[in-house]
Amino acid sequence: MTLPPDYVEYPHRKRGMDHDRYPYRILPRAAPVAWPGGARVALWVAVHAGHFPMDMPLKPFIAPGGMERPYPSYWDFTQRDYGNRIGIYRLMKAMQARGVKGTALLSGAAAREYPVMMDDIAAAGWEPACAGLDMGHLHHGGVAEADERAWIAEAAHLLRGRFGDAVTGWHSPAHSESAHTPDLVAGAGFTWTSGWGNDDMPYAFATSAGTLTAMPLSQDLADQRMLFQQNMATEEFTTAILAAHATLDAEAQATGSGRILTVPVTPWVMGQPHRIRAFGAMLDGILARGGVWSATGAEIAATWRAQQP
Amino acid sequence: MLSNPGHYDHMPYRRRPKIAWPNGARIAVWLAPNIEHYELNPPPNARRNPWPRPLPDVAGYSWRDHGNRAGFWRMADTMAKYGVRGSVSLNVAVCDHFPEIIERCCELDWELFSHGTYNTRYFYGMSEDMQRELIRDSRETILRASGQRLDGWLTPALSNDETTQHVLAEEGILYTLDMTHDDQPTPLNTRAGRLVSIPYSLEVNDVPLFVSRNTSADRYVAICNAQFDQLYEEGAESGTVLCLPLHPYLIGQPHRIAALDAVLAHITSHDKVWLATGREIAQHYIDHHLADHQSWIAEGTP
Repeated sequence: MTLPPDYVEYPHRKRGMDHDRYPYRILPRAAPVAWPGGARVALWVAVHAGHFPMDMPLKPFIAPGGMERPYPSYWDFTQRDYGNRIGIYRLMKAMQARGVKGTALLSGAAAREYPVMMDDIAAAGWEPACAGLDMGHLHHGGVAEADERAWIAEAAHLLRGRFGDAVTGWHSPAHSESAHTPDLVAGAGFTWTSGWGNDDMPYAFATSAGTLTAMPLSQDLADQRMLFQQNMATEEFTTAILAAHATLDAEAQATGSGRILTVPVTPWVMGQPHRIRAFGAMLDGILARGGVWSATGAEIAATWRAQQP
Repeated sequence: MLSNPGHYDHMPYRRRPKIAWPNGARIAVWLAPNIEHYELNPPPNARRNPWPRPLPDVAGYSWRDHGNRAGFWRMADTMAKYGVRGSVSLNVAVCDHFPEIIERCCELDWELFSHGTYNTRYFYGMSEDMQRELIRDSRETILRASGQRLDGWLTPALSNDETTQHVLAEEGILYTLDMTHDDQPTPLNTRAGRLVSIPYSLEVNDVPLFVSRNTSADRYVAICNAQFDQLYEEGAESGTVLCLPLHPYLIGQPHRIAALDAVLAHITSHDKVWLATGREIAQHYIDHHLADHQSWIAEGTP
């Protein structure tokens, strides 16, 4: 059997992207951005606070951190759930002690499952953002658009029922989306999104329902990937974060434009007793270099947007 | 299918009612050696294949068998050196196969609790009657072999089914380790009886660390010590629990036993440590703190 002739036709072979969500942008040529107080680097701690139902579907793929053992996996469920009862409180304490803000990327279901945690997130001054309904509702190309719309509406409803208009950010769980997800997210009133980890600075992301601000949130430099999927040592992650900061800080000094250091952390990973001191030491290392603006995702997105032509 | 085990309530880790351990200790440390037997020719289970290779899986079987022949004896001596007792997560058939191991545990004043009959007989798909029968067999076997009461439970290979905790509570078990949601003991909700959870660990457990997570012996020491240091510090506010789950076929290997020695040296160099057994932790919690925790939950964890 041989391939059909159209296998080597390239309808999108042209200058720029092979889709119309955003134009190609060269990072070193992006318009400079100034952060408050003349800071060089905006520090964005993005806390992945997802809820993993024990009966979550395992197809078409298991979300990272999903139930990997036979049902009923109390092992997987309770290890994740630890993050929402213990780990997140260790992160809060370490961050508050250093005056560092955070954005909680919350499953909508978290508002139902952990109402007291929502109060504590509000009291800590963290931004509540929406990371889908739960980790068992992944957005992907096999989901009917009507289902996806309903999940987004329900997740937004659950979080806005607790936090109101403060919920402006969307993170697609497991960095997974269908072709429609950005349109539906914008249609539900979200203004920033972080599902696409394809830049170090924000950019405008076009949808059928308006423009989203795409925020940098790495799946490569992330505690869950490095420490849980790749089994690296805790210090390999914290060292990598400090290396990223050194690079971004140097670029900010060289170009005069602010940069963003995103620190993606997961309460059931980084909030473990044997890791939390390394997390604190990492924040100390960043703050000691000076020129840091600790901010939420919404604050960074708004500050960037205000300086766009 | 259940979306949640449904056995415990959310207890945010702030402003919890204080746990006070005996003698002003900040932390209860307990060691849970898993003394297991994996059968050469186990029956199949629909949800989990006991061995990855066709039977007999000599590679898997013989690795684990090392634990009972060599690793256990080395591990027990190292623990005795530091005066640290074990609370044995016991496949109770070991009492029949290798009674010398049980004699050594008793000589060292270790607790025996049940980790099922064999590590190759999973609870996945067991009727409640079958689970009940197996729990009773565990109770009788442990009593016969050691004179001890059966108080604790860890389902073999963490293979518990939806009803297991209910059956455990009905059978009068004091504490379960099937959930790793906390660093302190917590109340559990079951349809009858009274069962509590005390912390076991998958974070400082030698199986995930050495088999799955590519951890060297040196890193094992660093992780265990860091876990202890943090929980020791937090224990100044309210008592915490550190469990070190051990498997003789891993930690008892010649190239790793010094790591256990180093961790125990670090732990026992601190003065506010309660070197306890699982039973002692559960009983102290039930006697002094369970009601406070239940009231706090009922008040909405203010």
